[in-house]
Amino acid sequence: MKPRIVLVDDHALFLAGVRAELGDAVDVVGTAGSVADAVPLIKELDPDVVLLDVHLPDGGGDAVINAVVPDRPGVRFLALSVSDAAEDVIGVIRAGARGYVTKTISGEELAQAIERVRSGDAVFSPRLAGFALDAFRAGERVGGDAELNELTPREREVLQLIARGYMYKEIAARLHLSVKTIESHVSNVLRKLQLSTRHQLTRWATQHRLV
Amino acid sequence: MSAMALPRFALDPDRRALAGVCAGIARALGADVTLVRLVFAVLALAGGAGILLYLALWAYARARRGWLIVLLAFVSGAFVLGAVGFSGSGIFGIALVVVGLWVALRGGRSLRPDAPVSYWGLGLAAVGVAITVPGGTPTLLAPGAVAAALALVVGPWLWRLVRDRDAERAARVRSEERAEVAARVHDSVLQSLALIQRHAQEPQRVAALARRQERELRGWLYGDIPLGNGAASLGAALSTTAADVEEVHGVRVELASAGDCPVDDGVEAVVLAAREAMTNAAKFAGVDEIDVYAEVTDDAVAVFVRDRGVGFDRASVPAHRRGLVESIEGRLERAGGEATIASVPGEGTEVELRLPRRAQ
Repeated sequence: MKPRIVLVDDHALFLAGVRAELGDAVDVVGTAGSVADAVPLIKELDPDVVLLDVHLPDGGGDAVINAVVPDRPGVRFLALSVSDAAEDVIGVIRAGARGYVTKTISGEELAQAIERVRSGDAVFSPRLAGFALDAFRAGERVGGDAELNELTPREREVLQLIARGYMYKEIAARLHLSVKTIESHVSNVLRKLQLSTRHQLTRWATQHRLV
Repeated sequence: MSAMALPRFALDPDRRALAGVCAGIARALGADVTLVRLVFAVLALAGGAGILLYLALWAYARARRGWLIVLLAFVSGAFVLGAVGFSGSGIFGIALVVVGLWVALRGGRSLRPDAPVSYWGLGLAAVGVAITVPGGTPTLLAPGAVAAALALVVGPWLWRLVRDRDAERAARVRSEERAEVAARVHDSVLQSLALIQRHAQEPQRVAALARRQERELRGWLYGDIPLGNGAASLGAALSTTAADVEEVHGVRVELASAGDCPVDDGVEAVVLAAREAMTNAAKFAGVDEIDVYAEVTDDAVAVFVRDRGVGFDRASVPAHRRGLVESIEGRLERAGGEATIASVPGEGTEVELRLPRRAQ
């Protein structure tokens, strides 16, 4: 079954472009251009995946997530944007988005990403991988739960290859692992990004008034 | 070497007491005649050395025979040493050292430190040292003789080494400068000319390219503005560079980064090399997207430029294509870093630029 998706972006041209690029791969059930429009629409339609712009005219993408999740915990969010500061992207991820891709992504890759998010996996663009590596930089040790506050060497390696532009199956071939394993590493990193008490992540989130 | 030459010595008949030797010395050295005479008198008391020396100098002044004065000087020196209590073998050893060193220097016909040294003379001096040291008495002189001999052997060699190294460094600096200029010209002017040829049918594009190139070249030649861009951080510089490549070549550059650092000469070299790698990917890989990832850690700056294009076989790149060698590998090497190019025909290319960071 095709995933049912809602597009939330204030650029009409972009909405039309994404629709055309995705074509038959997904079922676009609704679109919205602001936080105020998006929240009731998503609650009503209960889509599989919401493609969410990081910046909307009346707030950030995280505002949509925060308003929707309590009522519709099954809806998954994929953040989508042109170019953003690390704190905005990390903010949306910590609010609950399962991934972040840039708008330069091709239609085919976007369809794959949506499928991945729908099945509960994480989607990291090269940029998000870079942000994550930066946030978990060695040498900036903090107290608390080490499992959540540090990346494993393997996770670091996977993120680095994503940042360098390798796709999951290329990474899998390079590291002699299965694509499934790569996906689970990436999901683990996502979980850490969302739950870590690491100083830098907390700071980014605080700047975005999430904590 | 003129500075090492002895003052010109000649008899001074106008102020002579005996033959004018003391007056001549006084004139040559610019010393007081009475003082010179006093020295000779004292030396004359030391076993008659002063008298012998006087005769030697007189003979030299008349005949201008070097060996004569040397011989007599030695004999008189021996008298002096004997008078102050040196043993016979000690005197002989010291004499050998002096003769040996003299021969060693004469061997080069010059006192210049880089002149060839007669090893025969050095050998003689060494024998002298060997005789003197077990002789026991001249405990103060022997180490001096050894030091002098060492200085004679090692000194010229050290001097030569330093001079050679300076010359080599100067040559290397020149060739690095030339390579740097070649790399910059390749990246900018040659690239623009190639683009102008390709867009010869579009006058406006050609004019824009030429104008842009002129501005860049002027900035670099006269304003000391880096040819790439004047951004303050690696991230900013790469993003400007990526935008440039996107604009000029009509590709998409996906830029990701972890960490950032200010731009210094080394980082600028990385940015320029990255630009070249992006340009190559845009021109030859046949793709419309290039991935660039920059990572700054405490130890190193690393930039990866990757495409999923046609790839290439290093061996098939014509030698006159300087992009890889000069603008990427050479540039990184000169900056103290390293460029690694991994390409598989049919699968794509990844250029890795790595520059160690100096301790802050």
